[in-house]
Amino acid sequence: MSIQNLKVAVLLAPATHPVSGRPCAAAADSAALALALKLVPSPQHLLVLYAGDADDAALGPYLAQGVSCINVLPTLAGAEISRVLARQLQDVDLVLCGRRAGGGQGSAMLPYLLAEELEAPLLPDALQLQVGNGQVEVEQYLPKGQRRQLAAALPAVVSVHERASAPLPYAHARLLQGQIRHLSPVSLQPGVVHLEPASRRARPLVAASRASGHERMLGAIATDGAKAGGVVVKQGDPVEKAQVLLTYLRDHHLVDF
Amino acid sequence: MNFPLALTGLFWLGAILLSLGLARRAALWRQGRAAQVAWSGLFAIPKRYFVDLHHVVARDPFIARAHVAVAGGAVAVLALAAANYGLMLYLPALDVLMLLAAGLMFAGAMLVRSRRKSPPARLSKGAWNRLPRSLTLFAIGAGLAALLAISGDALGSAARLLALLALAGLTLGGAELALGIGLGGPMKHAVAGLLHLAFHPRQERFSGNKRSTDLKPLDLDSNEFGVEKPADFAWNRLLSFDACVQCGKCEAACPAYAAGQPLNPKKLIQDMVTGLASGDGQGYAGNPHPGQALRGGDAQQPILGGLLAEDTLWACTTCRACVQECPMLIEHVDTVVSLRRHVTLTRGTVPNKGAEALANLRDTDTVGGYPLAARYHWAVDLNVPVLLPGEHADWLLLAGEGAFDMRYQRALRALVQVLKAANLKVAVLGEAEPDCGDLARRLGDEATFQQLAGKMMSTLRHYSFDHIVTPDPHLFHCLANEYPALGGNYRIQHHSQLIAELLAKQQIPLRADAETSTITYHDPCYLGRYNGEIDAPRQVFKGIGIKVVEMERSGMKSRCCGWGGGASFTDIPGERRIPDMRMDDIRATGASQVAVACPNCTAMLEGVVGERAEVVELAELVAARLAKA
Repeated sequence: MSIQNLKVAVLLAPATHPVSGRPCAAAADSAALALALKLVPSPQHLLVLYAGDADDAALGPYLAQGVSCINVLPTLAGAEISRVLARQLQDVDLVLCGRRAGGGQGSAMLPYLLAEELEAPLLPDALQLQVGNGQVEVEQYLPKGQRRQLAAALPAVVSVHERASAPLPYAHARLLQGQIRHLSPVSLQPGVVHLEPASRRARPLVAASRASGHERMLGAIATDGAKAGGVVVKQGDPVEKAQVLLTYLRDHHLVDF
Repeated sequence: MNFPLALTGLFWLGAILLSLGLARRAALWRQGRAAQVAWSGLFAIPKRYFVDLHHVVARDPFIARAHVAVAGGAVAVLALAAANYGLMLYLPALDVLMLLAAGLMFAGAMLVRSRRKSPPARLSKGAWNRLPRSLTLFAIGAGLAALLAISGDALGSAARLLALLALAGLTLGGAELALGIGLGGPMKHAVAGLLHLAFHPRQERFSGNKRSTDLKPLDLDSNEFGVEKPADFAWNRLLSFDACVQCGKCEAACPAYAAGQPLNPKKLIQDMVTGLASGDGQGYAGNPHPGQALRGGDAQQPILGGLLAEDTLWACTTCRACVQECPMLIEHVDTVVSLRRHVTLTRGTVPNKGAEALANLRDTDTVGGYPLAARYHWAVDLNVPVLLPGEHADWLLLAGEGAFDMRYQRALRALVQVLKAANLKVAVLGEAEPDCGDLARRLGDEATFQQLAGKMMSTLRHYSFDHIVTPDPHLFHCLANEYPALGGNYRIQHHSQLIAELLAKQQIPLRADAETSTITYHDPCYLGRYNGEIDAPRQVFKGIGIKVVEMERSGMKSRCCGWGGGASFTDIPGERRIPDMRMDDIRATGASQVAVACPNCTAMLEGVVGERAEVVELAELVAARLAKA
């Protein structure tokens, strides 16, 4: 299968803004969209799906971020969204979605349920993505800066981490041009939703080190004679000192100018 | 050969060449979109030239005098030549007048020449250096021609030589004018400049005392998304670019240019000229955008990326210092915002924190992404009533985005204290107050601006109040000058205006023993240049016994703090920071305190590191001198 006729689908759902509570684009879903847009020659080649009953206006931010058409699958009360979506995704090679819900009714279970429904492998928390030779390779996010390479044969489901991409630019003209298409309701046996209270209690954070902040700073910089990672710049004028900082930031790819 | 007949021939040849050249240039202007201007503007040219334009030129008396002499002389010579030789009257009396006019023009040309001897860095060189020579040649030619005509046969055989000299001078000098408009030479400015006065995109600039500083709304529903390529400008905008004389007054006033950011307003206008004429841009002989090479462009190709670097666009602080200085009344800020609108509305690629600020405005109605309920937290112990629908307040205080800044909250508290001491009935909107949309509009996001403005106007409709007062000049400008085009008309005052009035009416109880002190005052662009209000803050300082030492750049010539136009969000790197330069201006006065009257100026100047003057808000100064209740 060549990359040209790869069929890619993206699943998007509106999020709830943490401050204002208004509908907005979910960071993880936008990141999934950003990775998907890199795979296809133009936005028209993407199949973009949303299953749910949010207003069209709530999907607007995704249109402004570059989706040309969002297909909305109306869901009946209690119907399992994963099954509704799976019906539309039968002949799709690669399904991308956000790894976590942006509020509302999302449970973040969708990628798992959907992969089960499609009998396809799930590659969770993707940061980068490559497709070739009938398989998909993913760089997976792990905490504390760790990364892991995953690969699976297509078709596959990839859930994308919100840090996979900088926020996509928002353009009002694309919002006006984009379309939202409502598909006919799918008749499915209503699934049963089990609601149960969350049982896990929050664990108190344990400090990694008992040393005071000042002590830790002294440990991080090279005091006289001690061997530590940093450099203390005492000589030179402010410009030279700033240059040392800038070089450090550049070496660590923290600034790019 | 008959000398007068030769002059007649030369005159008509010049006239024909000028007309052909004008037709050629007009075809370039007509690449632009249609514009709503009346032809009757042509009749207004003399008044606009002698009043509005001369008002700006006269700020530099030397060049004003030089221009009056050289242009006045040239126009008189041409008018007399048209009558006497064009219409073949051949009256000796007119020749005498022509000799006088040529003498005047010669004197002017000498003045222009002396300015060009050691020109200031802002002036363009290249073809412009040739201009004094052409003008001198033309003046000498015209003078000789008139002399010959007056003297008749008295000169004898020398007459033939003089006639040849006169014709040569008139041809060489006259070619500058006749061919200038067609070939895009320096004298293009004479024709394009006059037509620009007639068809100026802001006709209201010439009527009455009202300043015309508001950005014009876009009709988003009919897919107006700003300017992508030169041909997307209205034709009279293209014409306005051709009026530029490259004097560089804008360059000398531009804060971004002074800070070494990649923007030179003069070059920006010349870039548009290069674009409309589809040239390679190599003929430009002035200072470039700092750090940028000369580029070519095409009238039908996108401006950004080709003709102009994106950074150039986002360096502008929309402070209007360039527009204020421009003797040809060119609207630089409109140009910048038109280009920004296209980028923001069709691509959304606003650099650095700009896109985030716009997203916050869309999602939370605040620039910083704050909860609206937090806007008046600073007033929690001040007993400021939150206005409810159905109640009435004399004064509605709109705090704006500064309400979220902990430094500026001190100023807001001081303002409330002052207004309460004056026994005004003040109320606030509480969490009902959205952003006014200023930042979104300056960053080119007209859609978000119109949404926010609509929200603000529909909110205000629910409340009953007499006046609005705000300490934020940006909010003030939006409501006073930009909302009317969208259907919102409010009686709004900047807090400096209100306090000045209250002081004049002696409604604010002041301490008798208040110490007199000396400060300097930083005029906010959106209060000074955008609204012409430079007196009210000074009246306030006078009223509370504070002496103001003026900076060199103050009042209408004030230098921006670097925030305007979202420049602190797009944050284009330069050699220096604009607020650092402004603080140097403040240091030069020796004052230990600088008064500000804008939340954004406060933030920018407070952000200057190292030894510096203390930044105090106008309201804080008044509050410190209130009599104890």
